[in-house]
Amino acid sequence: MSTGQYNYSYIFKYIIIGDMGVGKSCLLHQFTEKKFMADCPHTIGVEFGTRIIEVAGQKIKLQIWDTAGQERFRAVTRSYYRGAAGALMVYDITRRSTYNHLSSWLTDTRTLTNPSTVIFLIGNKCDLEAQRDVTYEEAKQFADENGLMFVEASAKTGQNVEEAFLETARKIYQSIQDGRLDLNAAESGVQHKPSQPGRNTLNNDQQQNRYNKDNCAC
Amino acid sequence: MLGDQNELNVVQSKFSSNELVVAVHTNALLLEQEGWVDNRRILALVKHEFSFALFVILSVNIPPVSFSDLTIERIIPLDECFLCDTEPIPQDYQNIIFNIYYKTLILPFKVEISTESSNFASEVITAKEVKPVEYKDCIFAWLDKYKDLDKIVMDLNEKLGDFPLTRQKNGQGQGISGNRESFLKYQLTLKEPEFTHQQEFTIFIGTWNVNGQPPTALRKWLSCDEEPPDIYAVGFQELDLRKEAFLWNETTREEEWQKAVMEAVHPNAKYRCVALVRLVGIQLVVLINSKHYQHVKNVAIDTVGTGILGKMGNKGGVSVRFELHNTSLCFVNSHLAAHVEEYERRNQDYHDINLRTNFRRHPLAIRDHDQVYWLGDLNYRITDLTTDQVKYYLSKSNLEPVLLADQLNQQRILCRVLQDYQEGDITFIPTYKYDLNSDIFDTSEKARAPAWTDRILWRGKGIYQSAYRSHMEMRISDHKPVSALFKSQISVIDQAKYRKVHEEVLKRMDKLENEFLPQVTIDSTEVTFELVKFREAQYKDIIIANTGQVLAEFEFIRKPNDTSYCKEWLRITPYIGCIKPGEKCDIRFEVNLEQPLEELYDILVLHLSGGKDMFITVSGKCQRSCFTTSISTLCRAPIPLLNLNPDQLQHAETQQSPVLYSVPRELWLLVDHLYRYGLKTKELFELNALNEDIVRIRDWLDWGSLDPISVPIHAVAEALLLFLSYTKDPIIPYHLHDACIAASSNYQSCKQIIVQKLPDLERNVFLYLCMFLQELLKHSNENGSDVKTLATLFGDILLRDPVRNSRPQANRGKASFLYHFLVNDQSCLLIVPNNK
Repeated sequence: MSTGQYNYSYIFKYIIIGDMGVGKSCLLHQFTEKKFMADCPHTIGVEFGTRIIEVAGQKIKLQIWDTAGQERFRAVTRSYYRGAAGALMVYDITRRSTYNHLSSWLTDTRTLTNPSTVIFLIGNKCDLEAQRDVTYEEAKQFADENGLMFVEASAKTGQNVEEAFLETARKIYQSIQDGRLDLNAAESGVQHKPSQPGRNTLNNDQQQNRYNKDNCAC
Repeated sequence: MLGDQNELNVVQSKFSSNELVVAVHTNALLLEQEGWVDNRRILALVKHEFSFALFVILSVNIPPVSFSDLTIERIIPLDECFLCDTEPIPQDYQNIIFNIYYKTLILPFKVEISTESSNFASEVITAKEVKPVEYKDCIFAWLDKYKDLDKIVMDLNEKLGDFPLTRQKNGQGQGISGNRESFLKYQLTLKEPEFTHQQEFTIFIGTWNVNGQPPTALRKWLSCDEEPPDIYAVGFQELDLRKEAFLWNETTREEEWQKAVMEAVHPNAKYRCVALVRLVGIQLVVLINSKHYQHVKNVAIDTVGTGILGKMGNKGGVSVRFELHNTSLCFVNSHLAAHVEEYERRNQDYHDINLRTNFRRHPLAIRDHDQVYWLGDLNYRITDLTTDQVKYYLSKSNLEPVLLADQLNQQRILCRVLQDYQEGDITFIPTYKYDLNSDIFDTSEKARAPAWTDRILWRGKGIYQSAYRSHMEMRISDHKPVSALFKSQISVIDQAKYRKVHEEVLKRMDKLENEFLPQVTIDSTEVTFELVKFREAQYKDIIIANTGQVLAEFEFIRKPNDTSYCKEWLRITPYIGCIKPGEKCDIRFEVNLEQPLEELYDILVLHLSGGKDMFITVSGKCQRSCFTTSISTLCRAPIPLLNLNPDQLQHAETQQSPVLYSVPRELWLLVDHLYRYGLKTKELFELNALNEDIVRIRDWLDWGSLDPISVPIHAVAEALLLFLSYTKDPIIPYHLHDACIAASSNYQSCKQIIVQKLPDLERNVFLYLCMFLQELLKHSNENGSDVKTLATLFGDILLRDPVRNSRPQANRGKASFLYHFLVNDQSCLLIVPNNK
């Protein structure tokens, strides 16, 4: 019985954020299923995906939250940032507006996650070279200025998708090794033991609150 | 035994009979940071043979009613890593914290200070003190079985120690992740040919009953072949026949024989010892050519005594198991029951050894191995032939009739023993019983018949026996040693290919893991209501379909900064539930507008336990109504509310337009209607109206109509109550409520508040209503009204709380306050000039 080697020792929580239609769900799908999802519907909510990877001989389970990009959901999706160890911030290289909004996404990420959260910038749809609207160089500069990791990727061809997810994990793992990321901190986004993904911050005490709503003694 | 006997019995029923529940504590509160909703736990101290473990148990009922209530959450063995203590809680003299420490784990339990808790704690401490001779892993082997509990265990990196069991309810990816490892193993086994190739290993198996003699040179036996074997498995029986060995399992012979073996192995190779195991006189050593040693893993041994009391080791079996490359090997050396007629006992011994050999750390049975080599003094004799007949055939070198009379061959044909094993053809004469230091069969008085007591058998694939022989020149014992040489196919892993297959399987599992996430589809994530009107409920249904492969537990959850999972105008039924795969659930959204809203808008979060969250947007336009509009606005509105143009409405709302009415027109219409038609009606404010009549009154007021409304008078009465209950602000502002209640015993004080503190319009409304109620009371003979009832009813409405009925204790004060204004003449107040 060689239990250890097949299990995973860490769980990393990731979030994928960015404007609507930049291909966040397709990136997740490509990463977990190795397939391109054509006609991917808009995400109305927060999709959840998982995959087990290996970093430095350690099995790591990634729990990935793929958020809705629509502006009207922004207030709600903000609550999913908390406790993310990695944030994949995605724009569409063929639509400049999605790039222009990055600073707002970045502000959210910085405000709502902790300082050790690894932020990885992904310029998606790099297979559509002819329709390019954002140059590699300017995005690279933006990433450098803000201390972000960066690749251009394609959820369609799979180019650099694996790399972005894995590199983020490596960076997080490195932070653990360096002691920069405190595993005991409640919001580190890293768990030492497997557990369920779902009970996020949204639903604390809702029973209690439901009760209060009806019986508030002011 | 401690704890309530009933509770103890219920908990005991969760365990097997050899696991004794020594003590239970039924109501311990686990203090956790995250805080489960239910943090009550049952603690149970359980004893098995000489070891104890503490079980942390969840229960549906506290105290538990049946063992099915109980779910084991965590198991903590009371070994050297276990510690516990208690600490007081500041300012709390009822409770105490009982801390449990295990390695890095700390479990603080809040328990009530009582005899139950102090007895329980002292039992645990005592159990911790009872220290077995040494903490061998195996004494906690009984806990191993709990690891597979409900297949919900995901993390069992540690073979022993603290086993955190995931709560079933929260298990994510139910069905696959819990069984992740066994699934992986199974998949890898299926794909084994893809990443392995067969390599031939030579295995030398030797067995010798040495009759308690001291060692002799063994080279002629162990190094009789030209080529050095890769593996040696050498078994002895009757290594030491002295009483000490029998009683205490102590002997110096083990070392002596081991030395003799090491000296006699083939000179053309270097060997390392894989394992040495001995039970009294039964010893087995497995050696391997040093160059293969690195490919040996998971070595384990076990011994089973079948002698007197089924325990003593003068008879029984010892085993060594390990994995060489990717093939699992097991060697069993057994010494079975003696005496000619006892073949059934021998069969029984064989079955006992099979049954009881378990390699605790690697809980496998003998037969679970890819290759098993069974050797030893099996003690089967020759029956049906006389000693003379046997000797006669042997002298003619005619072994066949003798072999037919061999009990082992006979019992094997009958499938009573070693039935699925193979044995090579025996071409050597019986190895028992000889006169010592000779090749002569027993010449003593007993003159035992010769027998092939010493045998070597095997089971498994890819095993070819190239030699099976006895060694006549070894003469110190009454047995001759036997040896067999095997060419065995060992499956060798090609690391590169293995990694590839492993990766593939993992990927497949990951994929399955995703597939086993709960999945649902919703027929619509947009719930749009048509024009929503006051007191006219609307509902919309959505359908949640479980399209996944596991149970979908859904729940509408609260967004941060919200106080509930939905706004007060919405009701969701059910807001929490569980859908089986392939089934559906209707969710009803019901909106009931009681607020002055322009439009409805909310994003609801529908959470799947262990899975994704979906957003459902609820929206709708609202129609304004006088019922939820402020007195100030209504008094400024020149025409019915819904006929106002936006500018007019805005001016009225911002108080830019002049006050046109001393009381709202709508209020006047309602009161006037009651005054005209209702003064003689019984139970005027006590009967419920039809909602459709309320709706008609609402439209009559909001749209305006010259025609008097024709609805039952009770509906108008209720509409008046609704009007006063839903005005944007209560008639008497919130900040005056406490003063009103405080003043309620004194009419003058009450009057002062109304006169001095109440805004003009509100005062007008208040006094107008009081005068109407006084009018009503004048007809109490006919309508049966009663001043106290009216004071209570209207007091509660005119001084309504921000959250309805949140202060029932204040109702009496409110009623007393209003009472003064119903029994005293108010006409003087109407003309009092405004002091402000």
